[in-house]
Amino acid sequence: MRALRTATSGMLAQQLNVEVISNNIANMNTVGFKRQRAEFQDLLYQNVERMGSQSSTQGTVVPTGIQIGAGVKAGSVYRITEQGSPTRSGNPYDIAIDGKGYFQITMPSGEIAYTRAGNFAVNGEGQLVTEDGYAVEPAITIPQDAIDVTISKSGQVQVTTQGQTAPQTVGQLELATFFNEAGLEAIGDNLLLETAASGAATIGAPNEPGYGHLLQGYTEASNVDAVSEITNLIVAQRAYEMNSKVITTADEMLSVSAQVKS
Amino acid sequence: MENAAYIGLSRQMTLRRELDIVANNVANADTTGFKVEQLMVGTEVGQRARNDNIRPSASFVLDKGVGRDFGQGSMKQTGRSLDFAIEGEGAFFAVQSGAGQAYTRDGGFTTNAEGVLTTKQGLPVLGDGAPITLDPELGPVSVGADGTISQQGQPVGRLNAVRFDALGALQKSGDGLYRNTSNAQPVDAPDVQIRQGMLEGSNVNTLQEITNLIEISRAYERVTKMIENANDLSRRSVERLGRVS
Repeated sequence: MRALRTATSGMLAQQLNVEVISNNIANMNTVGFKRQRAEFQDLLYQNVERMGSQSSTQGTVVPTGIQIGAGVKAGSVYRITEQGSPTRSGNPYDIAIDGKGYFQITMPSGEIAYTRAGNFAVNGEGQLVTEDGYAVEPAITIPQDAIDVTISKSGQVQVTTQGQTAPQTVGQLELATFFNEAGLEAIGDNLLLETAASGAATIGAPNEPGYGHLLQGYTEASNVDAVSEITNLIVAQRAYEMNSKVITTADEMLSVSAQVKS
Repeated sequence: MENAAYIGLSRQMTLRRELDIVANNVANADTTGFKVEQLMVGTEVGQRARNDNIRPSASFVLDKGVGRDFGQGSMKQTGRSLDFAIEGEGAFFAVQSGAGQAYTRDGGFTTNAEGVLTTKQGLPVLGDGAPITLDPELGPVSVGADGTISQQGQPVGRLNAVRFDALGALQKSGDGLYRNTSNAQPVDAPDVQIRQGMLEGSNVNTLQEITNLIEISRAYERVTKMIENANDLSRRSVERLGRVS
């Protein structure tokens, strides 16, 4: 019976849906996390009777035909790149992006990764690095005798050193934007990689047209909305139940047939 | 003759097919732009065994076709700028597939690296018959209710919906796509509204589908019972008539 397999595909799809939702809920407090959503598409159809085929020698045609679908499949799971709310942290190396753009991070392999998680720190050499110690690109080094660090909206990093009144500029932060942000590949640790689908990164300074501005002392919270995730979870669970109901019905029908006396 | 068993069998076959279709509806209850389907069942009058005008001829059950309800699905707000929903029935987005044009209600689009608006499978979306190219330099895309696409306030193209006079000629080919099986050309549908940042859910009414499930299941049991009774009857008559006393 086809219905059994069709309903199984429905249950598998809802399982994937629950997995995506649970990942969203698990990352509710992850800095810079963007929630994901699973989209579904219908599977292939079998033509039992093709529409438009002749139904008589007089040339009459079948107007609708019979097509039976084979179920559902996951079309895509994509990130929704809505702005997360900036959360005050007070740490001078926490930088949130308000608007479009990603920070560039040099990975140990030399590759460039992109992130919205601006909870940076300085390493032993005074270089601005991520939580994992990967350097922020372009490299910014804070002198050891710096008393105060200021990062402007447009990404200028200025430090005030001991015995000096005028702040001096030590670097300029840059942002990368992509035409198709949803095409970036997540590799964990809040990092994303450029792909053929995302297109090449366009680099620019913060606060320029098309780029977001920076907020020092803030981190960007995840854009996961607990209420809508729980609602989605309920919907997914009910859909799962309904598919299992179809399996039960198909099973009952088969058993009724099997019990016919010969 | 064995008409009762055969008539029962014809109903059982259509019931199984109905179950397949209900299963597909339930599985796709969460599929973007999915349209609910229903098996259309009719009567097929059988031939009389002999020219006997008193007895009516036996009627079989035959599935004549699948009907699709092209009614509006519920709207879901997504907040994504390249998600589009059509508000208005029977209209579709046209996409360019390998084998000619295809049509879809699933407006969850994306762009490829060249900035061409495509479906999730990478098929270019057509606006007035040509692919739509967006300029990544110009920033956010906004689309009006009539489908006009603009970037930085400048119109850069139009995302239009098309419709067919005879929706029955459309054939589903999976992935949310429909193909045209007739020679009719789609026409522009200016009366529908394009909603940006929204997706159209399926129009499956799950309550209705579960009711259908129960109905199918019970009808199947009843028909099976009927076949059993017909069987019993002929078995008993053979036993009685064959008894030598």
